[in-house]
Amino acid sequence: MRRAYKYAVLVAMIVSTLALALAVSAGGLGYALPFPAVRNLAYWYLRTTYNPFMPKFTASAPEAVTAIVWDYRGLDTLFETSVFFLAIIASMALMRGIEVKAPKSINLSKYGMSAIVKTVTKITVAIILAASASIALHGQLTPGGGFQGGATAAVAPLVIIVIFSLYFAVSSGIKKKSMLTLRTLGLLGIGVTSFAVIVAGLILGKAAYVFQNQPKEAAPIGFPSHILGVPMGGTLLFFNIFEFLAVAAGFTIVFLLLSVPEESVRKVLEGGEGHD
Amino acid sequence: MAVPAGLDWVLVIIGEIMIAVGVISDLIAAIGLLRFPNFYVRLHAATIGTIWGAFVPLIGAALVAAGADFLGRYRWFMAGGAVITAVLILILGPAGSHALARAAHRSKAAVVQPKVVDHLEEDSRAPSPKEEGGEESEAEVKEGGEP
Repeated sequence: MRRAYKYAVLVAMIVSTLALALAVSAGGLGYALPFPAVRNLAYWYLRTTYNPFMPKFTASAPEAVTAIVWDYRGLDTLFETSVFFLAIIASMALMRGIEVKAPKSINLSKYGMSAIVKTVTKITVAIILAASASIALHGQLTPGGGFQGGATAAVAPLVIIVIFSLYFAVSSGIKKKSMLTLRTLGLLGIGVTSFAVIVAGLILGKAAYVFQNQPKEAAPIGFPSHILGVPMGGTLLFFNIFEFLAVAAGFTIVFLLLSVPEESVRKVLEGGEGHD
Repeated sequence: MAVPAGLDWVLVIIGEIMIAVGVISDLIAAIGLLRFPNFYVRLHAATIGTIWGAFVPLIGAALVAAGADFLGRYRWFMAGGAVITAVLILILGPAGSHALARAAHRSKAAVVQPKVVDHLEEDSRAPSPKEEGGEESEAEVKEGGEP
């Protein structure tokens, strides 16, 4: 019976894979190209994303996805970041009173996995951080960006928590409070970047918009489009750096809170403040 | 940084041989993973899949990219990416299989079946006065290992 069930699942998987492949190749997901009106929109984005010959329209970033995310629809991304920040704040509010700290005078080398795994992890954590920084800092040139880089960077504290133990992570500086500071710094940076041009416009007496990147027709000031001859996408580089900080720190806070052993915080979880 | 014309083909052929070795090793590893009797022997088959089936063909792909003349200078980006991935697998694969084997041994989740000598078991059976802080993590491993 069990054997027949196993084979039935196997046959069903093969048949559904083949059926899906047939349906896709026969045009089952619709036409190969979207409607002409949508295609014109895509054409416009691709034409203006990096176009030095149209300085009033360009976002001056070769990577169209990052330009759309942080320039063409920048306000939308700002609200996405706010939603993520509120989710982190809500999870911290749920777990308020729980302190992530190491007991005093413990031998940290007794905790965690074996020396082989720890040595390999030391090498990989450096590689993870370097790769995530390159994903975030090259976000305006190559596929990637602040959120992707931040999510990659958050793997490093997670790996440290699993392999070196939570106490090692906390005693080496990955604390709830410092991560919250980093996260707030990132959000503050996003806010400052989005208001920088309009503040500069008020000082210089010129018209400008919130979330402005490059100079526009009626608003002649903007962020520098090139730094040292490399296209930096104006605000995109700054948004990516600050989003990187905010996302990496936010994920780290959640990982820290989730890895606290239940026994050590049972009193807080049961709400035994007044009656025991 | 141009490679001499004859060397291109040498690189491509060596690379393709390494990829073919990788395919065969992956097949052997998959068969071994299915047919071998217990955890530790299966882990041996799985590590064949990570080193011979992932590290070797990635180096082969790097050589093929380095010999692909039509890619221009982008071939060095592709070859570099393949080499970095291969080196990562080379250090992470053994560490992962080591961690798996160690956890299985400490939690006694798997029987050490074709056993000639097991020093780790002898060491853990002998009473050691140094064990103080590590007990908590040992208990966690035991909990996790139960089916």
